[in-house]
This record gives sequence, C-alpha cells and structure tokens, in this order.
Amino acid sequence: MMPFDLVEPGTLREALALLDPEDSAVRAFAGGTALMLMMKSGFFRPKRLVSLNALAGDVASLSLSPTGELRIGAMVRLAELERAPEIRRAAPVIAAALRRHSNPRVRNVATVGGNLAHGDPHMDLPPVLIALGAEVEIEGPAGRRRLPVDGLVSGYYETVLRGDELIVAAIVPPQPRRRALYVKCTTRAADDWPALGLALSLEADGAAIRAATIVLGAATERPMRLAQAESLLAGRTADAALIGEAGRVAAAEAAAAIIADARGSSAYKRRLLEVELRRALARLLDLPAAGETR
Amino acid sequence: MSAAPRTIRFTLNGRTVAAEVAPQESLVTMLRDRFALYGARESCGQGLCGCCTVLVDGRAVSSCLALAALVDGRAVTTIEHLDADGTLDPVQQAFIEAGAFQCGFCTPGFVLMTRQLLEQHPDPGDDDIRHYLAGNLCRCGAYPEIVQAVKLAAAKRRGAAG
Amino acid sequence: MRAARQVGRSLPRLEARAKVTGRAEYIHNLQLPGMLYGKLVRSPIAHGTIRRIDAEAARAMAGVHAVITSAEVRQIIPSPYYGPAFHDQPILAIDKVRHIGEPVAAVLAADAAIAEAAAQLVTVEYDELPGIFDEVEAATSPVLVHEALKPAGTFADLKHLGGKRGTNVALEFRLRRGDVERAFAAAGQVFEHSFRSQPVMHTPLEPMVALAEATEASVTIHTASQSPSFVRIEIARLLGWPENRVRVRTAYLGGGFGAKLYIKLEALVTALALLARRPVKVSLTMEEQFYTITRHACTVRIKSAVDRDGRITARRCEVWWNGGAYADIGPRVTQKSGFTAAGPYDIENVAIDSVALYTNRPPAGALRGFGIPQLVWAYESHTDLIARALALDPVEFRRRNILREGRPQATGTVMRDAAIAAVLERLAQKLEWGRPFERGTGPVKRGRGIALGFKASISPTASVALVTIAADGSCAVQCGTVDMGQGSDTAMAQIAAEVLNLPAESVRIVHPDTDVTPYDMATLGSRSTFHMGNAVKRAAEDARDKLAALAAELGLPPGANVEIAELFRRRYGMQAGTIIGTASFLPSYAPPDLATGLTDNATPFWMVGATGVELEVDSETGRVRLLRLVTVADVGTPLNPRIVETQLSGAAIMQLGFTLLESMEFDRDGQLKNPSFADYKIPGLGDLPARIESETVAASQHSGPFGAKGVGESGTFGVSPAIANAIHDAVGVRLTSLPLTPEAIYRAIRAAAGDSLAEE
Repeated sequence: MMPFDLVEPGTLREALALLDPEDSAVRAFAGGTALMLMMKSGFFRPKRLVSLNALAGDVASLSLSPTGELRIGAMVRLAELERAPEIRRAAPVIAAALRRHSNPRVRNVATVGGNLAHGDPHMDLPPVLIALGAEVEIEGPAGRRRLPVDGLVSGYYETVLRGDELIVAAIVPPQPRRRALYVKCTTRAADDWPALGLALSLEADGAAIRAATIVLGAATERPMRLAQAESLLAGRTADAALIGEAGRVAAAEAAAAIIADARGSSAYKRRLLEVELRRALARLLDLPAAGETR
Repeated sequence: MSAAPRTIRFTLNGRTVAAEVAPQESLVTMLRDRFALYGARESCGQGLCGCCTVLVDGRAVSSCLALAALVDGRAVTTIEHLDADGTLDPVQQAFIEAGAFQCGFCTPGFVLMTRQLLEQHPDPGDDDIRHYLAGNLCRCGAYPEIVQAVKLAAAKRRGAAG
Repeated sequence: MRAARQVGRSLPRLEARAKVTGRAEYIHNLQLPGMLYGKLVRSPIAHGTIRRIDAEAARAMAGVHAVITSAEVRQIIPSPYYGPAFHDQPILAIDKVRHIGEPVAAVLAADAAIAEAAAQLVTVEYDELPGIFDEVEAATSPVLVHEALKPAGTFADLKHLGGKRGTNVALEFRLRRGDVERAFAAAGQVFEHSFRSQPVMHTPLEPMVALAEATEASVTIHTASQSPSFVRIEIARLLGWPENRVRVRTAYLGGGFGAKLYIKLEALVTALALLARRPVKVSLTMEEQFYTITRHACTVRIKSAVDRDGRITARRCEVWWNGGAYADIGPRVTQKSGFTAAGPYDIENVAIDSVALYTNRPPAGALRGFGIPQLVWAYESHTDLIARALALDPVEFRRRNILREGRPQATGTVMRDAAIAAVLERLAQKLEWGRPFERGTGPVKRGRGIALGFKASISPTASVALVTIAADGSCAVQCGTVDMGQGSDTAMAQIAAEVLNLPAESVRIVHPDTDVTPYDMATLGSRSTFHMGNAVKRAAEDARDKLAALAAELGLPPGANVEIAELFRRRYGMQAGTIIGTASFLPSYAPPDLATGLTDNATPFWMVGATGVELEVDSETGRVRLLRLVTVADVGTPLNPRIVETQLSGAAIMQLGFTLLESMEFDRDGQLKNPSFADYKIPGLGDLPARIESETVAASQHSGPFGAKGVGESGTFGVSPAIANAIHDAVGVRLTSLPLTPEAIYRAIRAAAGDSLAEE
C-alpha cells in the first residue's frame, strides 16, 4: 500500500466536511475490513481515508424504544449487535444471522454502517434488515434523509449514497406477531461467503399467513425481494403444497437475476432457492419439512 | 493527521509505548518491525486464517486488516503477553496437554481466540466451539485436538475460578 | 539405572511451549541488518516470449535499490537453471514465460512496500504463444513447453531420465508383469473407468520464504526448506563453488507438505544477494504460493479383468500427470507412485504406463502422498464399482484380492511388514461393517464407504546423523531432518534418549544447518522416521559404544555405574571433551528394469492406510454431511502414539479438503481464478466430520528404528474414494472427478433420474 492521508475526526460534522463527493479516492473508513482488502490488493488506492472510529454518541450506540423500534447507530460493531440484549429481544434473527457472518475478529471491528454502505451482495445483514422492513438514516450536507434499506443498494457494490453522505443509523420497526429467519447457504467450506442468503419475515397466526417478506441475498447483484412468492403466501393458510409452490415461484421469479459464480451455477442456485425457501417456511410455520424426493 | 508518518502512543502488553508509523502501515507489520513481536504473523493476508490475531482493547482482531495508526490511544495485547509472569495461561497449557498443534504457526491465533471464546462461553459446547473458531485455519488439521484443548481449557478455568 | 522407555511415550512436542507462546523460531520472522526485500514481477500470461522489459520507472522510484532480470542474474550464474529432476527452471524467466505467475524480474528495496509498489511499475511486453493445459492433450500436442530438455542427474533413482525429444513428455514409466492382453481376452468380465484429480495447493500457513547473505567467500541461506542438503548441493552447482562455501539453515517450518522441497526461492535470493551485496529476503504472499508449486492434476484410465470367483486377474493403468511448466520432482512422482497404480492387490497380470507431462500450468511437485492419493482415488473407486457390478460386498471383494505378506507386488518386490490385511479387517471391525446400516429418512440418505491404499517409501536415499555427548553428559542430536510440524524433533530425541538411557526432554535437537548438521536427502515422503531414525539410533549407539570404550580406557569394569560427567572429568581432569557418535543409513535398493519396471527391491518399507466414511447426502441439494471418518494405518510401532494419531487425522483432514472443497480453477487462457483463501477454501472446524477416529494396527517394521516407520501420508490415501464410495452407497450415483462439490453430486443425481440440470 502507498501512503495516503488518514484523518480521524471527532464529530460527524467534521467527518462529513472531510469527505469529497467529487473524488472516489476519498472514503470513509469504519471497521475497515473490506476496504483494507481492496487496498492491499491494489484495487482501491485511497488519497484520503476519513476514519469514523473516534465518533461517539448516537452514531455509535444502540437503543430500543418503548414501542419496540430499534435504532442501531452506524458505528455499532457487528459483535455488539450480535450480543446486545435489545437485539435478542426485538429482532433475534439479526443475532442469529450474525453468528455465522464472517468470523468473530471481523465482527469485532466491522460496523453496521460499513456493512450496508459497502453494497457487497454477499453480506448477510442487508437481506435480514430488508426483511424486517428496516430503514437507514443518512446524513449529508443537505441534512438527514431516510431510506428503506431495500432502496439503499442500487447494484453490485453500488449504493445510492453520495460521496459526501454517511449512514448514521439503521432503524428497525417494531415486529409484533412477526417471525423471521435467515438461511445462509454455503456450497464450499462452511466458513465461506454464502452462495445464497435467504431472509424471511412472516406475519402469521399458526399456519395462517397474513403477510410475508422474502429477500434473496448473495445469489444476485443486490438483495432482491421475491414479490411473487410473497403475494402467493399472503392471506393463505400454509400447507406442504403451498410452501412447495412458494419455492418454485421464488426460483422462477429470481431466475433471470441469479448469477453463476464459483459458488454454483445459476441453475443450481435456483434449485437451492426452491428447496431452502420451502424448508425455511416449514420451519417458521412448524410444518413438516419434507418435499419431493429424488 | 496527514499522509506523513505520525507518532502514536498506545499500551502494548501492559506498557505505554510510542511508535512512528506511516498511515498505510498495518498493525501486524508494526508489531513485527517496531516491537520485534512475531507471535502475530501475516499468512493469508485477508483476515481469514487467524494467524495474525491480536487483541485491541480486549477484542480479537486480524492485525493484517488493521491500520497501525488507528491503535493510537488503545491497548494492544499479543500472545507474548500471556505468560508475562512466567506462567502459561490455562489455554496455552491446555493446548500443550491436548497436543493441539503441529507446525504451530496458527497456534497463537487459536489460543487468543479460545480465550475470547471462553470469556463469552465459559462452558462451550461443540457447536459453540465450531462457530467461534470457524474463522481460524490450521493446515496441519489438528482440529480434533484443538476442540479437546478448548474443552480442557474451559475445565481448567472453571477449576481455577471455583 | 534404567530410565523409563522413551519410545512409545506420548511426550508433548519438545517445542510445545515455544509454539503456544508465539516464540518458536520461523524464518518468516527473520530480519537482518541492512536487509533488502525482494518483490517479484510475475508473468500475467501462461505462455509467451518476452519481447522487452522496461524497468526504468521502477529503477527511478525513490527507495528502490535495484531491479534485477535474468540478464543480471547471468552475469554471476551463466546457466541459471535449477531443478531436482531436470535443470529446466530459470531463476528469472529467460526469453520465455511458461506459466501464469512465473517470476520475470525482482525489485529490491529496504522498504517492502516500496519494492511492491515499484514492481507494479515494471512493464513487460510479451508475444503470446498458444498454451497447453490438459495433461492428456499435452501428450500429443504440437505446442511444446520446452524446446530442449536438460536432465539433472542429481539423484540416483532418476539417473535414467532423458525426456522425449520433441514432446512434452518428461518421463514415461512402464511396468509389465505377466500377460495383460491374454488375461483380458480370457476374462469373465472386464471393467474400465477413468478418473480425474484436480490441481490443488499445499497452502502452508507460513508462506515460502528465504533470505540470503553473501560475502566473496561464502553464502548463507536462511530458508523455510524441507531439503537443506539439496539446496546446498544445487546452489554450489549453480555458483560453481564447493559445497563448503554454501551454508543452508532452517528453523521450524510453518507447514511444508511438500511445498518447500528442493529449490523454491533459494537460488533467487542467492543471486539477488550476490548482485545487491546486501542480505535479501523474499517472502511470498499466500497468493504467490499458488504460482510456485501445486499438486499434480491427474487423469487415470484403469481397466480390470475379473474371474468368476471375484479375483482380479489383470489390470491395466494409464496415468497422465500434469507437471506444469517445470518438472520439479514430477518425474519421481510419476515413477514411484506409478508402480503402485494397480493398488494393494495381488494381480497376476499388470501393465502400467505412467507419464509425466509438461504443460503451461504452474509447476507441480510433491504434496503429502506424492501422487498416491490421486491413484487411490482411481483404483479404489474402480474397485468399488467392480464389487457393485459383481454384487459382492466391498470388504469381501477386497479381502479376496489384497496383497498378503510374502506375496510379490506388481514390481515383483515381495511384501514384508505391510499389514494390509490387518488394516482392512480392523477398519471393517471399527465400522461394524457386518451390521445393518441405517439408511436415513426423507430426502436425507445415508451411505458408507471404504478405501485402502499403500505407498512405497522413496529409495535409495541416505541420512547421516551425529549424536554428541558434552562433558556434563548432556546430549545433542545434529541431523538434517526439518521439523515442519510432524514432530521429528521429538521423535529423534526419543530415539536417542532410548539408546542412551536419558529422558527425551533432556535431548537437544540442533536444527538443520549444513555447516553443522550432516547430509540428509530431505524431509519428505514419510522417510525421516525410518531413514533418519535409523541413522540417529546408530549414531546414539556409536556414542554409547564410545562412552563404554572411555570407561574401559579409564579402567572401569563393564557395567560400572559411573556418571557420564564423571567419565569426562576422570579422562580430562576437568569438565572438558566431547563424545561424537556418528552413523549414516542407506537402505539397499535395486532400480526397476527400464523396459518392464520390475525389481525385487523397490522400497525399504511400505505404508498402508485405509479410510472408512459414514455420511449423509441431502438428495435435494447434493450437500454432504460427514458423520464419521475413520483412519486405520500400519505405521509399524509408533514412537509417539499421540503425535502419530494427530498425523493420521491431520492428513485425513487435509485430503478431505482436496476431496470436497479445494480446486485451483483455471480459465481457458491458463489464468488462475482463485489464488487466495477468499476463493480457495481449505477445511476449517465447520467442515469436519462429526466423529474423527484414527488408529494404528499392532505391527512392527523390523528394519525400522524400534519397529517404527513413516506415518505422515498414510491418512491421506483412502479419503477421496471412501467418500465417493459412500456417496454412491447413499444416493446411487458415481462421481469420477474431484472435488465432490454439492452441485456435482446434485447434477449426478438429476442425470441419473434422466432429468439433467441445465448447464448455466
């Protein structure tokens, strides 16, 4: 790595002022685990890194409101999130998903904001937050704005964040009567990035589904809502046939978006999606998991 | 701060130290070049193998993915500190007793991660151990002995506490 | 007073404390005053001629000491080609590059970051040539990797090497026993299959590293090498110096597995240090290791004739080894492994053709098993398929055919101290093979499989050892065996201690340093326990005899209980003097006949390893979950049972990675797509079977030290075919190419159902 300007502002305002929307070689640096890899490989040669690690206060803390809304400061480390009692109470699916995310050393330093801002499709957290209907709060020269997490990532390693904006928090709305699950599906070593990540959130009484949110991660350029499978399930009482159908509908609607890579062909990932969605629904709805056998 | 080398002050293995570091310098390089500490070592260079594990403010990190300049004001602990009083840590003792290594290159990382695991899970089950240490690699494949060592260390720590 | 037995003790490694405290010495850690770092400029193409190298910008960069190309290297080493089998590998590319990542130039700077940045400023123009990548195609391709072949002639067992002019063939090994054609013509049934193994890499966690410091009179090379003696001989040859001006030393190795053998970086750092007149260190990154050495990809075609009683009457094996751009030790893999390609079976008629081929892939060499795992993959998959076709139980079919003690192996060498039958029976017993096996429910199907392999030790090779007794009675062993994790320091200490009646903990092992430690062929092929173990044992006996002679000289009666220190005091009048015991060990050997491959003395000992697997296959996704991995081996009598067990399970786990996870993926132009741990996945804790068991059978290697023999590779032999056989048992499909990925398994399941999954 070659020298660059490294600054560590103490306030969000100073941090924002040090960013430069015109220069992609100026970037915010939080946990740094992803940026360091890009810098070491020469893929990213920074001119200036704005370390956010000295920021304190809201941006680095987590709170649960009396209504059940979670506010997760962007600088909260993934390991803190994994262990926070508030998370275990209000959205245990986040803690469960993080348990298999990367490794404990990365989780000790990587932040919620960095995880979202990187736009890496292989991350486990974004699909989970989308399934929970979370939003991000973004601050820039023009002040604060809020976006659904689903609207943040615009493509492969691309977000709608401008170069002079920072994510300051993720907000997870209350989850009454909702059940959520994240399935990380690896096809090489157990410790690999997922070939497919699947986040589900259901509002249901027993097997009677009122609403479903289904998000596919890792297999596509950006996390993808599976709207046809969601509407198939909404308002229906689930049985083995319905969840099998949901798997097939999901695989069909995601087919064009699923990318082949070293973790599997597109056809194989479609198959994984079909099977894993059916099994995940069975788990959430307490139905027998068996599908067709070959 | 700027692109020029800067002087940082931090606590290293319990002592206050200072070092002049370039902004791009990684923590593992600084520990090797400025402090002759070789227990954390860069191997995969991607934070995936765990050979470069050190503790920063008590939390395990991959020092190949950390900038040295950012430990200014923090506390860094390396494997060399564990037997500072001449006595092995129970985790180290357990690794010896269980024969939990061959070439030893990954061992400091496993020892430090195991200590952190036991702080969070004093009596870890197989599943806890697998999840927690899944991001540490041992190419010699001493994994069965490592799992034994973790359990033995847990028992030793409980014994010492009780 | 007799101390407790020192061999057979599960003594913790002598260096255990140094390793858990992070203080063990590795060459990785070494820094010398005034040292420069060398960073390599590597070829971005697989095959081409070098038109021009422009290093001006790099040379002009502040902090750059020099940029070195082959032109500068040739000023001090006129013919800078090295290699254990052929002198085919240039220190830096000369005129041509032959594989992706081949070193073309080196940049030297005191600051490693500057050297690295400057290396990116060196521009090299190439004229690309068509490449040849597949080992079977390479056998007949008009694309030639080398225009001329230069046999090395260094090793006794490779004296016959010539290569085949005008081809990519480095070595063709032939074995002909009986009359295979007649047996096939007369056979009741004939089976034929082909199997492929993928290229994989050792990935030692201490990446390859070497450091040289030179004066006018001598050069010292500090290197993470498994073969310091070979390095000394080869560097001396390259420089035209006598061996005594070259000093090669090692420390603990952070893993070797065959990657750090023969010459890797040592000739390069020597040339750089001589040119720069400063010490030079070259440390590879994990990525660079993938361009340096790999395990042979391999294609095996195997055909067997079986009679009505389920006896194999003939077997033909054709084996193509993908050696990559430089031969390294591939020819020896081709020959030594080749002659066991028919498996541990008693077969009257055998024909083997084993061919080492040059291709435009990174060089392939030795990797834990030395070609045996690729062969066992083929012959044990094939054997299982035959048993199925004959509706014979796989254990029973093997029982009818295995090589038993006293019977000749395919080369004609009679099997001695090879507990093949005992290993098979113990494995079957541990798996409770005769009992009904639970088959699983729903989409999850259960299966089990076994596989059995064997290996001949490399021969003829020599080991020399010194055992010194200081005037206070303390003992040091000087030997060239490199402790790369296998526990050789501890084993050698146990051997010396046993002979000298000392506690093993008190014996000091002097690490390889060619100024101090005598010749040893290398630490490879599970040879050290047997070869060096015998040398150390004899050297310790020599020291013991000299102590006895000293006692006699002092007029003491035989068996007098006088402390060693007291002997020295009486002899020298003070604490002074040294007893030096020395011995060398070179087992006998008869080279194979060049036309038939036959010999009555192919190897000093045999290694036997078998694997049993129980697993689940998710038939809806192809995912495999290993429930149980059992290794049973004949290691003779273990010197240190705990270390032996770890060696067996460690080897099995490594081979598990090569079976299920690992594969170097090349595109059509020979570009490597996954040279990092992000994309080349090795096994972690999450990939382990639920149960791992390793066991040795009661056995003795009568010619080994205290009945012991090699153990480092035996755990690898059967893993791949045992898993494939178990998958077949679970879901009825056969995979013939490694690795066995979930997708490959699922595709096979769909194909078997007549409903193939789309190729996209």
